[in-house]
Parts: sequence; structure tokens; C-alpha cells
Amino acid sequence: MTSVRDELQAAGCAVVEDDGLRAVPPSVAALGRAVAVVRARKLALRVRGGGDAPLPPAAGGVLLDLSSLDRISSIDGATGIARVEAGCSMAALEQTARRAGGTLGPLLPSVRAGSVGAWLAGPTRGERGIPGARRETAALSVAAVLADGRIAESRAAPRSATGPDLDHLALGGSGRLAVVAAAWVRLFPASPALVSSWRCEDGRAAIRAVERLCLDRVAPVRARLSTTATDVRLGLAWEGLESAPLERDRAARILERLGLALDPATTTSQWVREALPGHAVEIDARWSDLAKLPTAEAQLIGLHAGGSFAVIALAEGASADVCAGRARAANARVIAPRRLRDAGPGWDALGAGAAWQRLVAALGAGE
Amino acid sequence: MKLPQSSARGKALARELAALSIAASVEPADLWAASRDSSPRAILWTKAAVAPHPPDVVAWPSSTAEVAAVVKLAAATRTPVVPFGEGGGVCGGAVPIQGGIALDLKRLSGPPSIDLDARTLDVQAGMNGARLEDLLAAAGATLGHFPSGMTSSTVGGWLAARSAGDRSTRYGTIADMVLSVEAVDGTGEVLRTLDGPTAGPDLTQLLVGSEGTLGVITSARLRIWPRPNRIWPRCVRFPSLQHGLRALRSILRAGLRPAVARLCDPLDSILSTRTGLRTPVPAPLRWIVEAGRQEALRVALKVPFVLNRLAEGLPKSSLLVLALEGDDCDEEGRAALGLCRGAGGEDLGAPPAERFLANRHRETFRAAPLFAAGAYVQTLDVATTWERVLPLYGAVRSAVESRAFVLAHFSHAYLEGCAVELTFVGLAGMSAAESAQASIDDREIDLELAQGRADACWNAALSAAAGEGATLGHHLGVGGEKRHFLQREHGEGLGQLRALKAAFDPHGILNPGKLLP
Repeated sequence: MTSVRDELQAAGCAVVEDDGLRAVPPSVAALGRAVAVVRARKLALRVRGGGDAPLPPAAGGVLLDLSSLDRISSIDGATGIARVEAGCSMAALEQTARRAGGTLGPLLPSVRAGSVGAWLAGPTRGERGIPGARRETAALSVAAVLADGRIAESRAAPRSATGPDLDHLALGGSGRLAVVAAAWVRLFPASPALVSSWRCEDGRAAIRAVERLCLDRVAPVRARLSTTATDVRLGLAWEGLESAPLERDRAARILERLGLALDPATTTSQWVREALPGHAVEIDARWSDLAKLPTAEAQLIGLHAGGSFAVIALAEGASADVCAGRARAANARVIAPRRLRDAGPGWDALGAGAAWQRLVAALGAGE
Repeated sequence: MKLPQSSARGKALARELAALSIAASVEPADLWAASRDSSPRAILWTKAAVAPHPPDVVAWPSSTAEVAAVVKLAAATRTPVVPFGEGGGVCGGAVPIQGGIALDLKRLSGPPSIDLDARTLDVQAGMNGARLEDLLAAAGATLGHFPSGMTSSTVGGWLAARSAGDRSTRYGTIADMVLSVEAVDGTGEVLRTLDGPTAGPDLTQLLVGSEGTLGVITSARLRIWPRPNRIWPRCVRFPSLQHGLRALRSILRAGLRPAVARLCDPLDSILSTRTGLRTPVPAPLRWIVEAGRQEALRVALKVPFVLNRLAEGLPKSSLLVLALEGDDCDEEGRAALGLCRGAGGEDLGAPPAERFLANRHRETFRAAPLFAAGAYVQTLDVATTWERVLPLYGAVRSAVESRAFVLAHFSHAYLEGCAVELTFVGLAGMSAAESAQASIDDREIDLELAQGRADACWNAALSAAAGEGATLGHHLGVGGEKRHFLQREHGEGLGQLRALKAAFDPHGILNPGKLLP
């Protein structure tokens, strides 16, 4: 009788036994065969790509190490798309995109530090803010490995009306229903950020001001809040070759009506982007939830009419655990650090628990 | 017209529905009304005075609980359930091809809850599209969703087919607007997705676009916006389609979001926007636009290749219709115009664009006189990324030019690409007047011939689009008309779709024969 190790090797993977069984497929095809081996034996499966934090295999399970699946096989700066394998690090993809005149746009630090596969299969589902105060996934199309090893790949089109969006079986799914193998990723045109800052009474006023901009469709690509002894400084950045100055001017008029004072000090793009001090956590929250949080420092990205991703830090050097607790109390969902990540409401909470069980069975997937 | 007669199964179901206090009918006129949509195939049925796929019964639930009760009854009796809105679909999605219960959702149309401050709208699935936009307008709001058939479509239909309107470049498609849905799955369970941060695969996006095969959508929360107070319309002429596409892409890539961005191919530029009427148009092409001279039109459509060659002899310029909205639309418009000029565009001013915008929804109704004249009219909505748009357009044109007259426009633009909407006008058979005089046998023969011609054109176009790697539907759905090409669209993904079907509709009762091949 052949062992799992033998089967994974026969599938074309390099296999390492350290904390458990780690298989390294050299190609998407080998990844497909490896997934089939693991699913057929009903073993627990974990996935890790280039740049992702170390992750041991589950007890008795297999870790699929996608660090060799790091190719960027195509990049088209004029159209704004890149074909990339799931194990590619986000840093490498951003670097290549920049050389082609594109960018992935603002992302959460935990996303930026990881792999493309972790971004798409992770809690943000690869979503980012787009003009018009909306969010969409950056995946134009996903190549996903099914339980039997076959690769399902959607058409690389900006939108499609040919049934449900099947990419959403892989997006945000943590590899449970399908493993992300590669994707066509959308790129923004790289353009310099236009940054300005304002003074607000307090954090709540600052959040309400940013919310107002989103509700009025002039969402910045980034926002930064910083509490000083007397007030809160709010920095906002817009991008877009033609749209940024128009949106910034319109935002300034809206904020003036709200009574916010434009900060005459020069605000650098670096300040809006720089990492927060202290023990920050990353969350996904509605505006009403964000306004409840007594944050000392915050960065907002992926802003849309309903809310935003945010990196938040509390005053007085509070620990990440305390910070996450406050965020949960405000109904926000904690995304990072990973050890504090909220599972969030699953399909049970939607009345679809039975359908989920049937779907897992029909796909031959494991929990 | 021979109306469908009530069946024994229909009468039995009607009694069961009555016992549940749910309105239902087996009246022939009701069965006929729920037996067809606005697809070319269904229009040919009507012209031939046949109704080949009537439901057994029509039910009008007035609440989610009643929808769930109907589905549970259907599950217990293994009866097909086909959701029906206004019958405005063009892909046969609402045709009950296996009979069963036509679930007419028009009574799920209570007053919507409009919260403009929160930019949200809670609305039931049976709400008529035009009525909804009227109600929103009265509240100073807009959904920004203006499909060409909005007077004859419902919110549920939009969601079921992943609809897009002509302002999607600014507001997105209905899939971008939806925050959460309520739906009844094939076991009668009520599912309610969440508006806000959630975990795992996004159930909302798996239900939207499922065309009634995974669940019956009963209500939704959608994103709304303040109604724009100003609009900046403009028409720009480019020396060629390539120049126009370059300009459209640069507008989007510069971060601008016009509400309307429609680039017409050279022929559509002359015929649709009514700006090129100074250009002499050969008579046969005029017959198509005006659907006049029925006999001559049918003769001309016998040689579509010649018609398409005639069209190629016309000026090659392409028109771009732009409309920007909102407080800053003048500044945004000037920026867009600058990009157009940089791509070789000539500003034709606002009036041609204003005329186009005033008439844009009349296109839907222009097809009726062509059908009456003995033609068929099909609309194919495909989409791809910018670098593949022109090859896609060329491939589909080539594939059908010997079967039908072709015109096209490019719209629904995104950062990465756009949709191509192609219209095919081909010879079907008898005119409506001749058909009315013909015997039943002759009508049936004529219908078979017409469907054969239309299917040949349709299949050639879909095959060419699939070969170019495009998605075979941008906003019109799949229904019964594209399902045989879904294998080429999804490949191994079809297994995922079958798994979803097994999970959400384990008895296989929801809209059978649709979507899945």
C-alpha cells in the first residue's frame, strides 16, 4: 500500500517531513494532483504561499507549500491585468506591476506581506476600493483546484452574467471548497497620490467626515487618523490621473461645509501610508462601527459607502488583544493578526447551514 | 391563437395552492401569459400563434412565507417551479419548459424602504424596475440601474440574471449594487445573507445570477445614491473604431466614470444615434432600421453578406456618446473630452448625445416591426478585456455575416475592458400578416424554418465569441438560449455549478432546463 508521501511524490511534488507533511508542487498541474491525493484520503489540508507566515500542517494532514508557484506569466499595463500564480508574493507582484505602470493599490499590511493566494482566499476575498466608493475583488478570474484535482477557471472578463460568480467558491474560502492556483489580477494605473489633511475635533468626527465623502462618491484611496493632544489630524489621499484633483477639490468643499479646517501644514504621502505605532489590529467594519471605536491612530483603505478596512491602534499602548476586543465590541470583524482573526458569521447564520453541508459533500471538499 | 388548456396536474396543484390560501390560476390566458418571455424564440412562437411550453398552474404568492410554502409543496410533489417577473428576459430564462408552477412574483412588490442617508434600499423581488426608479426619484435617490427593458423587468429578474443598465460604468451592474438578498432554496428554506463584513465564500454572489435554479430571490438590500442634479452629455466622432476604443480605455484608466459611455461601430453610428443622417445610407439598410417595405426587406435579408458589404462601404467613423453626472460633471467632462481629442476625437457637442439619451430605450421596441416583417432580431452581450475587444468583434462579425446583418456597440466599460453588444437581423420567414392567414401546418413549418435560421446564427456567434475567450454573457443571462455553450464558458467550473445545484436544489425542481446544459 502506498503512503501519502509516495502519492504526493508521484504527483510531482517535493515532499518534506518536518512538523508534518509538507508538499511543494512545482506547477499548477502538480498542485491539482496533490489536492486530489489529499482530498481522496480525506486529510486535513492547509495552504501556504510565498511570504505567508509560517504555518504547520494540521495534525495528520498536509501543508501544500505553493512557494514554487510564483510565476507572473503575463502582465499588461495598458489593460491593467496580470496573470500570476497563487504562491507569488504580493511584494513581487507589486514590484512587477510598477515596472509595467500599474499597481495593486492600497492594501492591508497583512495582505501586502503575504501571497496572492492568501489574499484571494483570505478574509478580504481580494477586495479593494474602486472609484465611486465601491469595492470589488481584484481577481478578474480565478483558476481553482477542485477536490478531484481538476482546474476550474473562469473567463477573464470584467463582468459576466453566465450564472453565479463561481470564483466566489474560492474567494474568501481559505481553500475549503477550492484551492486558488492562479488568477488574472486587476491592476490600477500607477499615479502619484494627491494628499491633504484636515483638523477634526475628535476621532468620531473624523470617521463621520470620511464616511460623508464616501456617501458622496469621493472616497479617498487612503485615510489616516492621528490623535494629538488637542485634536485629530485626518490625512486623505486620492489617486487617478484625471480624477484625483477633481475629487480632492470636491472633498475639500464637503469637509469645509462640515466645519473641518484644512491643515496648512504640508502632508506627505508617506505619513498617510506609514505603519501605525503600537499594537495595531486590522479590521473590516461598517462606518457606524468605526465611529464607536476610540482609536488613537487609524489607517483606512478599501473605503466604500458602507465601511472600510482599517488598521487601528488604541491609545496608551494597549495590546493587540485589547484592541481586538474593543473592535469586536463595536461589531467590527478582526482580520489580523491571524491568531486573533474572527471566523465571522458562517452560512449557518444565513439559514444556509444545510446547503453548506450538501455543497461540501457535492464538491468532495473537506471542512 | 390556440391558448393552452389546463391539465389534470395543474388543477390538482391549484387545489393544493388554494388550501394554502395562495392565489393560483389554470385559466388558459394566465397559462399563456406565463409561458413566454421576450426572447426571439418566444416572439416567433407568438407570431406562429403557438405556446409550446405553458406551465401547469400560475401561482401569485404575496410573501416570502408563501413562496417558501409553494416551494415546499413543489419539493414534496417533485414539481418544477419557475420564477416569473415581468417576462422581459431575452434568453428564455422564465419559460417553464417542463411545465409545473409558474411562480409569478409580481405581488412581492410592497413599498420599498428607502434610506438615502444610509444609501440603502430594501425592496421586494416583484417590484417593477421603472416604478422603483420613480419611487426613488420622488425620494431624491437613484439606484443607477437603467437596463433597456426596465419598464418590463423586476428587481428579482435583474438579480437572477446579473443585469446591467446603461449607466453601469458609473454605478456598476446589479451584482455590484446588491448588499444582501433573501431567497428561498429548493427545499423551502429561507436564506438571508448579510449586509456587512462576513466570512467565507460570499453567498450573495453565488445566488445572484443563478436564474432561479438555486433559489427564488424574494427581496434584496441594494446600494442607492442621491439623484444627480446635473448631467453633461457629449458626442465625439472618431476616425475609426480603434481610435474610439483607445479613448474609452484612457477615460476609464484616468479614473473618470461617465454614467453613459457608448461607442458605436461605424454602422451603428449612422443608424442608431441619428447623428449621421446626412450620410447617404443605401436603401436596404434603411429598410432594416425603419422596418419598412416588408417585401423588399425580406429579399434583402436573403443576402445578408451583401448587406454587410454595403455597410462596410459607409464612412468608418465611430461615435462615442458620453454622459457624466453630478456636481463636478463639467470638469470631469472637460477632462474626458481632452482625452478624446488626444485619441483623435472631434467634439460634436451635446445635442446628438441628448437625442441619443432621450431615445435610448426605444431600441428595445424597434425589434417588433422587424419580427412582424418576417425577420428575427437577436442581441448578443459578450465581454472581454481591452486588448481582446477588437478581435472579438471581428470574429463574431465574420462568423455571422453570411447569416444576418450585424451592427454593434461597445458599452459597460470598466478599468480592464468592456462589453460588446451585437445585434443580428436575419431572415426568419413569413411576415406576421402572412402568418395570420396561413394554415396551422404552414405556420408550424415556417416556425421550424425560422428557428433553424435563428439558431444557426446564434450558435455561430456564440461559438466565435467562445473561441476568442470572451464571456458569453455580460448582462442578459443564460436561460435556455446559451446553456448549451456553458461548458465552453465554464469548462471544469461546470462541476462547481452542478455541486451548487445539488446543494441548493437537491430535488432538482427549481427552473429545470435552465443554465445547466
